[in-house]
Amino acid sequence: MVMLEFFDPSGRLEVKQPHAPRLDDLAGKRVGFVSNEQWQAYRMLPLLKSLLERDFAGIEVLPIDAFPQGNALIGNEETAEQVKRSGVDAVIIGNAA
Amino acid sequence: MTNAISGLGLAPEAAMVTFPIALFLPGSDIGAVEARKQEFYDGLTRWSPRLAAGPSGESPVVAVQGATFDDALVKANNAMLANQWGDGLPLWPPTRARVEWILQGSARPRTDALGTFPPRGGVATVETCAIALAMAGGRPEYLPVLLAAVEAFLDPESGSEQLQAASGSAFPVVIVNGPIGRQIRLNSGFGCLGPDPQHPAGASIGRALRLLQQNVGGARPGIGTMANYGGLRYTNVVFAEDEANLPAGWPAHGTERHGFAPGQSSISLVFANGATNIRRRGAKKETPEEDALQGMHRMADFMRVPNLAGLAGYEHGTPGILMIPGVVAQTMVGLGWTKRTMREFLWEHSRIPGEHLARAGGYAWIEIDASKVARESAALDPWPITASPDNFVLIVAGGGHPTNSYWLQGYSPGVVGREIRVPEGFERLLAEAERDLGG
Repeated sequence: MVMLEFFDPSGRLEVKQPHAPRLDDLAGKRVGFVSNEQWQAYRMLPLLKSLLERDFAGIEVLPIDAFPQGNALIGNEETAEQVKRSGVDAVIIGNAA
Repeated sequence: MTNAISGLGLAPEAAMVTFPIALFLPGSDIGAVEARKQEFYDGLTRWSPRLAAGPSGESPVVAVQGATFDDALVKANNAMLANQWGDGLPLWPPTRARVEWILQGSARPRTDALGTFPPRGGVATVETCAIALAMAGGRPEYLPVLLAAVEAFLDPESGSEQLQAASGSAFPVVIVNGPIGRQIRLNSGFGCLGPDPQHPAGASIGRALRLLQQNVGGARPGIGTMANYGGLRYTNVVFAEDEANLPAGWPAHGTERHGFAPGQSSISLVFANGATNIRRRGAKKETPEEDALQGMHRMADFMRVPNLAGLAGYEHGTPGILMIPGVVAQTMVGLGWTKRTMREFLWEHSRIPGEHLARAGGYAWIEIDASKVARESAALDPWPITASPDNFVLIVAGGGHPTNSYWLQGYSPGVVGREIRVPEGFERLLAEAERDLGG
């Protein structure tokens, strides 16, 4: 038999930071959206907002345009700071495609 | 998407609710959002990543067994495809011996990190590059060019962070200047963008870069890269400028664009997403002056299209790479043209009438561009396809035949240069190549 051993070519990954902790419940929480404003986000995200507001008592869901929108803006540090300052408990990011 | 998540230094997974593409099209039925609302709610409350913080460890070694070497080779290739590490063409398994051989071409320690490949965020080390080059059929003397190309690719100025994943099918073009091109058998002449048994280096280096993009960067079609078509991605484009045939006084690209000393081996990395031959020479009784002018018009006319590819590099990048053969460059210079006047002509005559831009919806793209200079250019009519004539990359390359030029349509926020560093003993590697491949 002939054995060939070779390297996995995909390189290593470094996990440098944890994901944000999850909420225990959505009732009474404050939720925001960060949208790239593309791919039907203008329809899908308002629908999601209305569903959240219907299903969870006391939830506050910020308007879709509460934070800067568009691919050029949603990933920058300024937007992230704005989201933090708003005091939201959670953020939904959409829409990727 | 998990590629992008891990590229941010997070565990390579996320709380996502994914839908078929039909949902994202105009006029779609978005009822599925309500039907699957619990998945959104769970993502905000119950989801947890499977990987904790910390390094995920070194890449493992894979082993296959075969009844014969040929059988083992087949099994190794099957394994590489099954793991989505291949490109569909036969690969050399990156065995320890082959990788050690390739590493002789590095002036840097094997553990040196060159950066992280977007979007996945895999760490590119000298060794990782050697592994890719081994798979791509490369040789140690090619490694200095690959390392310089990877450094340039990972420079934020190149735009690779977005272009790796974007739908526009960008591929890196690596232009090599200096003696290393000739030393390692890079093609600068006939067929320099294609396969050539006399000049095999470009294909291996470009293929290795692509394998790094795919395997370390996670840019797999439809998963980590949304490139609709992905043209020229088997080998990308790697060639040398034909410095032996530059007209007198015509600076080499690396010196002109990046300021490298004449004779310094270097690379220049540009993203492109189109490649087309342009018929340059006249067909009948043109005078030399008419022939030159008509050729310039044909090239500029070809660039005057409102598909806005050059918008990506409007301010600091390039609308594209124009390749002309040495014989044409020399003739043009003999007629009084210079590199500068050629660029200025192309810039002026590739301007797009506002009416044409408007009917093609071009202004909408210009107005949302991240560059202020690009946005403000909307006021110009006719609209220049790039901010400055200097942005055109004009390269002397291709066979010694005057009939054709070649246009690599730019899609490149920047044009990034790097010096090439060769290790001690490089001459020995070149001598071994001559022994192996013939003089």
